[in-house]
Amino acid sequence: MDNMDAKQSALAIVAGLKKAGIDFVATLPDEKMLEVIRTVEKDSGLRHIPLCREEEGVGICAGAYLAGRKTALILQNAGFLNSCNAVTTTSLQFQIPTLLLIYFAGDIGDRGFTTLGAVTEPVLQALGIRSYVLRKTEEIDEILVGAQILAEDSKRPVAVLLTKSLLGVK
Amino acid sequence: MQRYAYLKAIADDTGNALAVCTGWSAREWWAVRPSDGNLKTRTLGLVSSIAAGLAFALPHRKVIAIDGDGAFLMNLCGLPTIALQRPPNLIHLLFDNEVYEASGGTATASHIADAVSLAKGAGYPHACWVSTAEEFRAEFLQAWQSDRLSLIAVKVEPGQPKDLPPLALDELENKYTFMRYLERTEKKGILSPGFDSKS
Ligand SMILES: [Mg+2]
Repeated sequence: MDNMDAKQSALAIVAGLKKAGIDFVATLPDEKMLEVIRTVEKDSGLRHIPLCREEEGVGICAGAYLAGRKTALILQNAGFLNSCNAVTTTSLQFQIPTLLLIYFAGDIGDRGFTTLGAVTEPVLQALGIRSYVLRKTEEIDEILVGAQILAEDSKRPVAVLLTKSLLGVK
Repeated sequence: MQRYAYLKAIADDTGNALAVCTGWSAREWWAVRPSDGNLKTRTLGLVSSIAAGLAFALPHRKVIAIDGDGAFLMNLCGLPTIALQRPPNLIHLLFDNEVYEASGGTATASHIADAVSLAKGAGYPHACWVSTAEEFRAEFLQAWQSDRLSLIAVKVEPGQPKDLPPLALDELENKYTFMRYLERTEKKGILSPGFDSKS
């Protein structure tokens, strides 16, 4: 996964997050997002909180939001499923905007996680969380900035699904 | 002794600290320390994580997590996450009554799972059991003054005083009151301008 494409994509994604105003990021790794997480970790303008399980990240981001931080949670879709109760009874119930950057495992062309890929968007939809699939580098700024505006304005989480092609990984 | 007696023992020492509660403890905490800096959470387990998020975002401000054994055991994964950041301003209180009190009184596993060992094993720089209100208060003051992430745990009897007033607070109202209180005391804007915005 250590290739130039992945590094450049990661830089563009993190730059997009910062343009969106994000300054606080909690993460749980997926192999496909290693470069993104490394870039978050290196960026002195972002407070990075590595997680042990995604659900606690929902709580950490909620607390940070209440205190004025603009938060994003970087996770895989499996981890998103782990966190559905927290998203429902904390983020949605207390109207907390959190940008969810979700690696879309099991998307078209991805082997091994088709079950996960199949349920991801229906679960987001059932929770009333608007979601956007981000496939192209040139759309990064527009979608990340727009998603954060939407999250703040609706006071709800908004999900951006990141694909393999976007991340520049195999 | 019940949790209420311990909460009462430290209420006057908590200044403008933010306090995050869960379950039945909220009604007790509001009774002993009424403040716009109190927040009641909803998701079982997340009280410590929400308190940690506040502590990370406001490193100069004391934050108190008022946890219970059921919530604590549900969010064990959250302990190493907190320990990794070592927020010196977070004081983690655990009231262990060995039951899921707010869910009807079924036993938790806390009579065999030692919370202090769990916290220390997860990397908390300080965690201890206390057994009297005096010890509890002394440990609390020590945690406050030493600026060291601490878990203070105490075994309590289930139950609470019968005459406590119910929380006359909607949970969204609680959120907004809490955020406005932070805006006032931190002297900064937090909520976006909303419908008066020109953007
Ligand atoms: Mg209990």
